Amino acid sequence: MRASEALICLKFLAIVYAASDAPRPRGVGPEFAKHYKDAKTFACISNPSIKLPFARVNDDYCDCPDGSDEPGTSACAHLSSYSPQTPGAANATQALPGFYCKNKGHVPSYVPFTNVNDGVCDYESCCDGSEEWDGVGGVKCEDRCKEIGKEWRKQDEVRQRSQTNAAKKRKELVAEAAKIKIGIQDRLQSLTTEIEGSELKVKQLETELADVERREKGKIVKPAGGKGGKMGVLIGLARDRTEDLREHLVRVRDERDSSRSRLQEVESILSTFKEEYNPNFNDEGVKRAVRAWEDYAARDKGPEPKAALDRDLEELTKTDKENGLDWDEYEAEEETDTDVLYAFENYLPSSLRGWLDQKLRDLRLMLVEGGILAASTDSSTESKHVTEARKRLKTAEKDLDGHRKDLKKHNEDLNDDFGPDDVFRALKGTCVSTDSGEYTYELCFLERTTQKPKKGGGHTNMGNFVRMERMTVDEDLPPNGKGLGSGERIVMKHENGQHCWNGPNRQTTVILGCAEENEIWKIMEEEKCIYRMEVGSPAVCEGANGGGGKGAGVKDEL
Amino acid sequence: MYYVNGSSRGWTSLLTLFCILCLLITPAVSVKRENFKTCDQSGFCKRNRAYADTALSNSRWQAPYALDPSTVKFDKGVLTGTVLKKIINTNDNLRLPMRITFHESGTARVTIDEERRQKGDIELRHGSKARKERYNEAEKWAIVGGTTVSAGAALNSDAEKGTTRIMYGPRSRFEAVIRHEPFGVEFKREGETQIQFNDRGLMNVEHWRAKVDKPADEQKEGDEAVVAESDKEAAEDESTWWDEKFGGNTDSKPKGPEAVALDINFPGYQHVYGAAEHTGPLSLKETRGGDDKYTDPYRLYNSDVFEYEMDSPMTLYGSIPFMQAQKKDSNVGVFWLNAAETWIDVTKSTTSANPLSLGIGSEVTTQTHWISEAGLLDVFVFLGPTPQDVIGAYGELTGYSQLPQQFSIAYHQCRWNYVTDEDVKDVDRKFDKHRIPYDVIWLDIEYTDGKKYFTWDPMTFGDPLGMQKQLDDHERKLVAIIDPHIKNEGGYHVVDELKSKDLAIKNKDGNIYEGWCWPGSSHWVDCFSPKARDWWKGLFRYDKFKGTGKNSFIWNDMNEPSVFNGPETTSPKDNLHYGDWEHRDLHNINGMTFVNATYEALLSRDKDEDKHPVRPFVLTRSFYSGSQRLGAMWTGDNQAAWPHLEASIPMILSMGISGYPFAGADVGGFFGNPSKELLARWYQAGAFYPFMRGHAHIDTRRREPYLAGEPYTQIIAQAIRLRYSLLPAWYTAFHEASTTGAPIVRPNYYVHPGDEKGFGIDDQFYLGSYGLLAKPVTREGQEGQDMYLADGEKYYDYFDYWMYEGPTTVTVAAPLDTIPFLMRGGHIIPRRDRPRRSSGLMKFDPLTLVVVIGNSGDAEGTLYLDDGESFDYKEGAYVHRRFHYQGATSTLTSEDVAASPGKKTKEYLKQMEKVRVQKVIVVGAPQTWAGKHEVEISEEGGKSSSGTKKVPLEFHGREGGKAAWAVVRDPGVQIGSGWKIAF
Repeated sequence: MRASEALICLKFLAIVYAASDAPRPRGVGPEFAKHYKDAKTFACISNPSIKLPFARVNDDYCDCPDGSDEPGTSACAHLSSYSPQTPGAANATQALPGFYCKNKGHVPSYVPFTNVNDGVCDYESCCDGSEEWDGVGGVKCEDRCKEIGKEWRKQDEVRQRSQTNAAKKRKELVAEAAKIKIGIQDRLQSLTTEIEGSELKVKQLETELADVERREKGKIVKPAGGKGGKMGVLIGLARDRTEDLREHLVRVRDERDSSRSRLQEVESILSTFKEEYNPNFNDEGVKRAVRAWEDYAARDKGPEPKAALDRDLEELTKTDKENGLDWDEYEAEEETDTDVLYAFENYLPSSLRGWLDQKLRDLRLMLVEGGILAASTDSSTESKHVTEARKRLKTAEKDLDGHRKDLKKHNEDLNDDFGPDDVFRALKGTCVSTDSGEYTYELCFLERTTQKPKKGGGHTNMGNFVRMERMTVDEDLPPNGKGLGSGERIVMKHENGQHCWNGPNRQTTVILGCAEENEIWKIMEEEKCIYRMEVGSPAVCEGANGGGGKGAGVKDEL
Repeated sequence: MYYVNGSSRGWTSLLTLFCILCLLITPAVSVKRENFKTCDQSGFCKRNRAYADTALSNSRWQAPYALDPSTVKFDKGVLTGTVLKKIINTNDNLRLPMRITFHESGTARVTIDEERRQKGDIELRHGSKARKERYNEAEKWAIVGGTTVSAGAALNSDAEKGTTRIMYGPRSRFEAVIRHEPFGVEFKREGETQIQFNDRGLMNVEHWRAKVDKPADEQKEGDEAVVAESDKEAAEDESTWWDEKFGGNTDSKPKGPEAVALDINFPGYQHVYGAAEHTGPLSLKETRGGDDKYTDPYRLYNSDVFEYEMDSPMTLYGSIPFMQAQKKDSNVGVFWLNAAETWIDVTKSTTSANPLSLGIGSEVTTQTHWISEAGLLDVFVFLGPTPQDVIGAYGELTGYSQLPQQFSIAYHQCRWNYVTDEDVKDVDRKFDKHRIPYDVIWLDIEYTDGKKYFTWDPMTFGDPLGMQKQLDDHERKLVAIIDPHIKNEGGYHVVDELKSKDLAIKNKDGNIYEGWCWPGSSHWVDCFSPKARDWWKGLFRYDKFKGTGKNSFIWNDMNEPSVFNGPETTSPKDNLHYGDWEHRDLHNINGMTFVNATYEALLSRDKDEDKHPVRPFVLTRSFYSGSQRLGAMWTGDNQAAWPHLEASIPMILSMGISGYPFAGADVGGFFGNPSKELLARWYQAGAFYPFMRGHAHIDTRRREPYLAGEPYTQIIAQAIRLRYSLLPAWYTAFHEASTTGAPIVRPNYYVHPGDEKGFGIDDQFYLGSYGLLAKPVTREGQEGQDMYLADGEKYYDYFDYWMYEGPTTVTVAAPLDTIPFLMRGGHIIPRRDRPRRSSGLMKFDPLTLVVVIGNSGDAEGTLYLDDGESFDYKEGAYVHRRFHYQGATSTLTSEDVAASPGKKTKEYLKQMEKVRVQKVIVVGAPQTWAGKHEVEISEEGGKSSSGTKKVPLEFHGREGGKAAWAVVRDPGVQIGSGWKIAF
């Protein structure tokens, strides 16, 4: 941790200087002590040509253009680009980082000069209360470093431990991500093999289908004009058509029902809207919508749905059998006199029969191929063999297609950005949620963010994951370490969530800080429907992304 | 439009296209005008304008009002009599009791009532329960002093026949000449007429009459031809006498027509100011049409005007019916004490004294025509001669502005809404992190539980006290909104009490009025009722409004009142208030009564405060004459657009000269997202608003100063820190306002009343009495400002001491990071230069005095300091010093200008002992100081035995156009004691 390193470092310096010099002037940190050694004159740190009698150091009057003569007062606090520029103080920058609090028993720190002798004990940054040495307005700031330091160390220990755990967890995540990756790679390999196999199979089946079709074409067709035959075709057609109609009717009815209920929902939303909108808000869009709704509501809506008709529809959509129509019955009567006639082959001896059959077939094929006879490949009358062969081919093709899609998907997945070390691969689809106000907010890593009202009602999509970015943040870190701190952080952008009334589509920026557990720390609506989520996750606990025991995860105490 | 067969289609489609384009464009830029009446849609305004047209177009016009000489009596500064109104078509005279009161302060007051209504001898329609008198309680709310009747006022026996003359005022310099027939009054100062009443004969008191259902063709009789003429033309057009409809609402008007109107002339005066609040220029425009003139009168009818338009006489949220007229070296004024809807026509006429002089000696007379819907005709007259005389006298009557808490003149951070207590704490921390000072953070309506005031949303503000504790750690405050509409919902204790105690505004039938506002169905507390105010007071006790701490204060919004479904977004006029007064009678006062109740409530929220209260802070949107006593106002819901920034300056100046200087506009603009340039410029301007608050609509992006990014954050921080460093000057200016009524930011005419060229200037202003002249940039991309220097004095750039000299117009460079800001020679400006987190933490910081040497070689300035929060200053707990630099002797002295010490003086001075002057900067230092290295200091009651000490002086010579300046290094003298620095 930088702070503790700094602590050690400062202590070291302190010892060095303490050993060699008189006490430093109030507010001077050890690294600047060398500028204050001369007991007679003081040279401004950034402009050593300006020399002052040492008595002017810390006399509560600002002499140096860089403020270095007032390390222990607020006299030079105005030297800043944020102050109105005046002659003598234009473009000034401070030479010192602030008032140095020794904070014995805790970590030394610098307090901004603006806070020195303002009548407030800034224990958060100066636990020894030394910045209020003048007792302004009667304030007395006793030294609280002992308990604050103790508490800090206690929490620091927790933080350290949690960071160690977090780092461990991250390792696990990375390992798991790697495992998942290997899994995907394996799958890719097997997919390639499977695809090869499937391709072969498809080819094979294609040949098979061609063969079957060829064979079927040679079948003798029943002469046209057969009464029963025509009827059979008709029955087949009618049966298919009724079935089709019935299916469509059912579908249309379902669609109608769902549209009707959606319409009802929309109408009730709009009529509530009309009741509750703020007529004074003078939003033209709203007013137009209300007027349009009023016009709409005033119009004749057409006939109300009639229950009796619905009942009829219900009857209509029952299967034909239930309606007393048994197609099979009719189809079964297929055999006619002509069929019997054609069955003359049955009276021939079997050898002759085989020969004749073959010859007839060949003849037919010849005629068909010569264009003299029509082939019997009409789809409605396609033979079962062909249909089945086609079905097999289709299945095989589908399999192949599926495999190829998988391949593509996995390939893309391998190339996707899952963050450093691929770590978020392990978190994809993992969801965390937190309560804030009247909502529960949920983040599903690499998927989406969602807002769920606690009182019930529909969930609102606050954006779908689109990409990862990086962002520099600068936040105070709470004592428990659950915060973003300062530095560059990984950010997940979620866009195109549910559209907002009078606003954009919802978007969420998820900023990740290092933590032992995946958890949402904070959710803010930064502007209308643009959210910011601060989220802790062990996934970002290494390198530049978070503390991880070393980085900038914990606030720089200086 | 021409319709020629073939081409008409082309025209029509073009027109259609044009209309569509208009539809696309207008909603974004303009107010919803159709929601608000024009004069033509307001019956009494239309009638009185028509009456004026008749009167002015008819040379034989004779006003039908005459003072009956036999009734005239003068006794102890009060002249009484009866004005008789000739009633058309009859020989009847209507008796109008008249009273002219002359006050010790030099103010005169003319009041005219209606005898029949005084006696209650009228009948109301629709069985109304309303009071029969004309509303006579406006003074109860508006007037707090200055009404001691003059003992010196005397009848002048030299009066011409048909007149009565009264000499009054200081050294009897003023005179009122009352003409008996037609009735009229002229006010003179040292023999010269300054103000004329009814000179044009437009006075009109619509008397009560019974509604007669008569056929359209009316019988005319009598021989008063002239009057009868007007009758036919306009005066008796009955169409707007009875029920009036507007925007789907019907006003039942149980008393029929009852308007009062009067023409008031300012002969010789080219400019009139006041009649706040409007968006137009400070110098009021003419209102009867013409180039760059308005077509409608200035309207005063407090309303929630959404997205109000620029440069318009339309009404806004508040009304101050006080007007001043200015000519070279003379300022006079009138205050029209009437709380009903009021319209004011302004016209100017040029008369040539000598037709041959061709314009030389020609004189402009400003004519005004005041029209109110109901109430008394009641006018106060101020005869000046300086702007401060008039504003001061008005302030004496209606009260000076509150001496506010120190924090309330620092920077306020507001937004609709900071959504949780954590959000508030986060913003608080971020200001500190970025070292930008602020004093107050605000909560708009969303903090409540379902818009129920006096509750907190438990989901989002679970720990309001913890939040306030964090703010208090750095002496910061919380302001929470409380509006007058009370949610009509079962189980809500506030509405339950409001109903059960019968303290709400009632409808015309006497039942509790129900309307819509933020919470939906609501009722309105009637703060005209003493019982309601008492109850209201109790609601703010810490144990009642749980979750509020000592550093919490209140914002009163929507108090016009805003009623979403009401006529013109406000209460129906026939609603009834306490005492059975109709809402129409007192509408413009309504907002003030609410703030008054809140102010009283904040004075005692627990036992400690009962004994030792701190000064309340209440911000209001709606106001009337007198509201200045109670807190700050802001200009309502403006837009993040350059024209709104530009308009904010004349608007705030107008508030300042109207006795209500604690005014501001939302920094950044409420609606919409400002560009960063606009935001930065707005902070630069806002640093000069007496009330400085950043605010933003709920649909806008966050725009706290630290979010802007560099260089904008730096520019904004500089503007805010400039405000903080000048807080001692601001606070002193507020103190001056609270004792003399003087504006805090002052227009040119106020500071230089002899400079005619500057009378129309309203885009630059002076801060207090310090000669600090600012002209913030209010236009996009503008990098320089022409500043008008009215006098021959030296002026120095505040930031680099560049020298200018008047009288002239100079161009001051104004890149984005620069505010055009000059120091006029002859003044001494107190500052506190150490940036702190809040103004409360600057309390014990040392001061810097900037001595700006002018032509005479002398300079002076004052400083007022107190604890900034309690009323202890009333017992002497303050420091009030006058610093004086004399060029002749080269000495700077500090003298006490405090009134005689009170019982808390000593204690306070003891507390301030450590507060010293750490630096004296002399700008325009004489060249003779070049060789000087020290100055001699003597302090009264100095502990050092020698009595004097020497401290270093550092001299910087002239450099190019920059003035020489010198710095006294740490004189170390106490701010609260007398001392002298000899250079």
